[in-house]
Amino acid sequence: MPAKEIRLDAHRIVDEPYYLAQGDEVRIAEVSYRCGMPLLLKGPTGCGKTRFMQYLAWKLGRPLITVSCHDDLSTSDLVGRYLIRAGEAVWMDGPLTLAVRAGAICYLDEIVEARKDTTVVIHPLADDRRELPIEKRGELLHAPPEFMLAVSYNPGYQSVLKDLKPSTRQRFVALDFEYPEPEQEAEIVQREAAIAPELARQLVRLAGMTRSLRDSGLAEGASTRLLIQAGRLVARDIPVRTACHVAITQALSDDPELLAAIDEMVSSLF
Amino acid sequence: MTLDILKERFFSLVAPDLPNDWEVEEALEGLVEEDPVLVDAVLGQVPAIWPVSNSLCYNYLGQAVHALSCLPPGELGAWVNETLDRYEKGGLQAAQRFMVNVEQEFVCRLRGIAGLRFDEVRGRLLPYVRGLAGRDLDLAPAPSACTDGETIFLPREISLARGGTGNFLLYKLTASFQWAFLALGSFTPAGSLLPEDSGEEGTELPLAQYLRSLAHPELAADLYLQLETIRARAFLARELPGLMREAAPLLPSSPVRPGTGDRAGRLLADLQRCCLQGDVDVVSPAAWSRRLRRLMAPDATAAHSLGLCRDLHTLLHRDAGDYRPAVPLFFQGTFRLDLVLAARNRRRQALEERFVDTLATVLLNLPREDSGKEEEPARKQEAAGPPHPDVALVLEGGGRPEEVEQTMFLRVGNEQVAMDEELEQLAREVVDEFGFLPPRFISSAAGRAGRAVAAGETAVPPEAAEAQAPVTYDEWDHRRNGFRKNWCIMTEKEIPVTRSTFIAATLARYRGQIVRLRNQFEMMRTTERFLRRQRDGDDIDFDALVESLADSRAGLPPSDRLFVRLARDERDIAVLFLVDMSNSTQGWVGTAIKEALVLICEAMEKVGDRYGIYGFSGMRRLRCETFHIKHLEEPYGETVRQRIGSIAPQEYTRMAPAIRHMTARFAEVDARIRLLIILSDGKPEDYDDYKGEYAIEDTRHALLEARSAGIHPFCITIDHHAHEYMAHMYGAANSIFLDDVRKLPARMPEIYRVLTS
Repeated sequence: MPAKEIRLDAHRIVDEPYYLAQGDEVRIAEVSYRCGMPLLLKGPTGCGKTRFMQYLAWKLGRPLITVSCHDDLSTSDLVGRYLIRAGEAVWMDGPLTLAVRAGAICYLDEIVEARKDTTVVIHPLADDRRELPIEKRGELLHAPPEFMLAVSYNPGYQSVLKDLKPSTRQRFVALDFEYPEPEQEAEIVQREAAIAPELARQLVRLAGMTRSLRDSGLAEGASTRLLIQAGRLVARDIPVRTACHVAITQALSDDPELLAAIDEMVSSLF
Repeated sequence: MTLDILKERFFSLVAPDLPNDWEVEEALEGLVEEDPVLVDAVLGQVPAIWPVSNSLCYNYLGQAVHALSCLPPGELGAWVNETLDRYEKGGLQAAQRFMVNVEQEFVCRLRGIAGLRFDEVRGRLLPYVRGLAGRDLDLAPAPSACTDGETIFLPREISLARGGTGNFLLYKLTASFQWAFLALGSFTPAGSLLPEDSGEEGTELPLAQYLRSLAHPELAADLYLQLETIRARAFLARELPGLMREAAPLLPSSPVRPGTGDRAGRLLADLQRCCLQGDVDVVSPAAWSRRLRRLMAPDATAAHSLGLCRDLHTLLHRDAGDYRPAVPLFFQGTFRLDLVLAARNRRRQALEERFVDTLATVLLNLPREDSGKEEEPARKQEAAGPPHPDVALVLEGGGRPEEVEQTMFLRVGNEQVAMDEELEQLAREVVDEFGFLPPRFISSAAGRAGRAVAAGETAVPPEAAEAQAPVTYDEWDHRRNGFRKNWCIMTEKEIPVTRSTFIAATLARYRGQIVRLRNQFEMMRTTERFLRRQRDGDDIDFDALVESLADSRAGLPPSDRLFVRLARDERDIAVLFLVDMSNSTQGWVGTAIKEALVLICEAMEKVGDRYGIYGFSGMRRLRCETFHIKHLEEPYGETVRQRIGSIAPQEYTRMAPAIRHMTARFAEVDARIRLLIILSDGKPEDYDDYKGEYAIEDTRHALLEARSAGIHPFCITIDHHAHEYMAHMYGAANSIFLDDVRKLPARMPEIYRVLTS
């Protein structure tokens, strides 16, 4: 089996990931895929954007190549580079090129974290040209219909350095994600963490309390992901207050007063 | 006991002295209403104090009732002895201090434990309460726990448990109970028992009115409090099981003061026991426990409590003649319906003020839109009386506030006028709050619009003033979707420098923080630099290449990091701080803003970003002013510090021209990131009709212009109504609201750091 095949197979999603639809986002994403339009997922951290992509990839039967963007991510990290091996230069496809060649879904997580000059390489892929120029090889790749580009970002960040340029954002079909409604969120937490419904409901209630602390200095409240993590600890016999302390309280803030206040919420609820 | 009897007894106690008649009367006044048993105990101590000091004795009579509220009657003698000791050692004042602080100074020591003070728990409890309620409740100290719907009052000190943890838990329990009363609607029960809420500014809540109408109001109020506490307890057990489980062992098993022995007293004691233990079976006539259990069901309402309260009252009030009010449990506190009413009236008044103001603005702007310039004289004449004699706000669609699907429109004369969003939002708030739209709101808005038209026409300065103006800016009129050309005249002024110790004091006060900030900001400093030994890059790294070839010859695995890359992540940031200098910043706000500026300047010197500071204020469109504090390229030094120290409140907040002025200033600046940080304490507003939606839309448009010029605006505000318009004006993530202005100096550098990294 050629090396490329192996690399790709690792990205295939075999089992159905659990995803509880909040609205018609699955249908919209499917239609966008058929029309060859890229997706932009907005939403707070840990609200299910990545899980949604996994579910979509599974549903469409395509491999999912995820790139977590960071501020040192260069164009070569995405497109590919020459590596010097044993005295000769070998071309190595980057994740984006790999996805284009194989007709996979390329998901750039937290796109705003990437350098602005890096985000520009996706421009020709994200409009109707659907092509990827590889300058170093003098190659122009045309994306097959199976290829899909998806990016995500969190509009809650207040850094002026971390904003999408209009020229980038105006290429996407945008899906807005929020934390699910309490009943749905409880259902998700209950199922993902394998815990009792009552505990899941209490965790969601705790999340609701932390999310209303924005004006008291907590930038973001507890995400669904944190609730699930706390729930999992509880399911493996960690006492519930300890679990909440390590998985939620400490994860949210370093401010001693806020930490104390969240712990008080925890000890009131459980 | 009447005052005469008290006086007679007092004179007999202090005989043969003959003290001043009026002094005795004044001292004894507080005892007239009190329980005779209590009065006996209080007067019993007089012979011990009188010979030591007459004034101390009068003081004692004033304080004794308060002391007995937290002192077991048997300990009164010990307390008086201690007071006399203090008097002999430290004089009258020391003794007075001791008497006033009976709880901390005596009661706690009596129990042999230190209590937990409110100040120590506030910081931790406030976010907790806000998290519970999901809104901005406040906390404040008070003699006993209660709430008015906006603030939860908690005791100044709790020392019932041994140790801080237990006392904190009791604080938390108390706060949670007060929240539960609010969440359960204990103060505003619905139901047929109550008189109709007129919605007008009442002197009494319907609940208070009802309780007062019963034969024995005191008993009824006590019963209602107990029943609601039982309901709240069940609610908390469902909502916050952890809290109730932990707090249960700390609660006493029976009430502080047992019942007086009659039926009412016994039943109340039973009810309190039930509040403490959460078990309805302790209530003795078993028939009642079934109805009590009903209160603990999740769907029980305050009306259930009130119904039960009425029935219990009917049963008991006849033989409750010498009823002594029950001592409330510390966590249930008291129902201060007067405070709830006052808070509601305050809220309603503020709402009315805002509504009338907004509607007046809308009305004021109507004729201009409809008639155009030719009819100006006609409008002037009209201005003598109310300009819109028959204005009506019509709610359609059943007219019941419960129905969401109602439409609202404004009718002026016979014409329908579309309402803007802000007015509609406010009108809905009014309907939610009052249940209907009080007609006086409309009439006073119409009246105010009339007066403003009359005043406005005479007060506008002559047009010739425009000629002197240094810079003019357009103003956005959202109603006609276009600019008013050269509408605002902007003058840039120097701030008059005054000498003060402000800067020195601030530098000294925040010394530690400044050092820390400087370190933090220094770490953000980066420049253009070459990165060697990269996997790819602009050029070949020869050192690495030679090494790699040598390695390869020697049979070692050669490195693939052979390139040089130029990292261009230089912080090319220029930032302007625009400071609100309107007269509302008088006092704390202004000081906090100035302190914040000093701190940020100290920190900015380290990071090396270029920055400028301007203040803005003004009055009317012809006199918009910005005050120069620091230009972008100007070095930070003594003069700049002095200017910061001299920032003083001026006039109004016409924000948009200042923003446009900053945008113009930025046009001369070459920087990769241009940031405009606005410090404000309220909505944009000016003396004329520049307010409400018009002002917000104009400011929003000025910000949009700034954004399209490549500037990032960001606002730090301390206005409590900010939520309603900030997101609209700035965009959701481009503003931050600080709930406490005192946090500003500490938070501002932090906000800047997050913004630019």
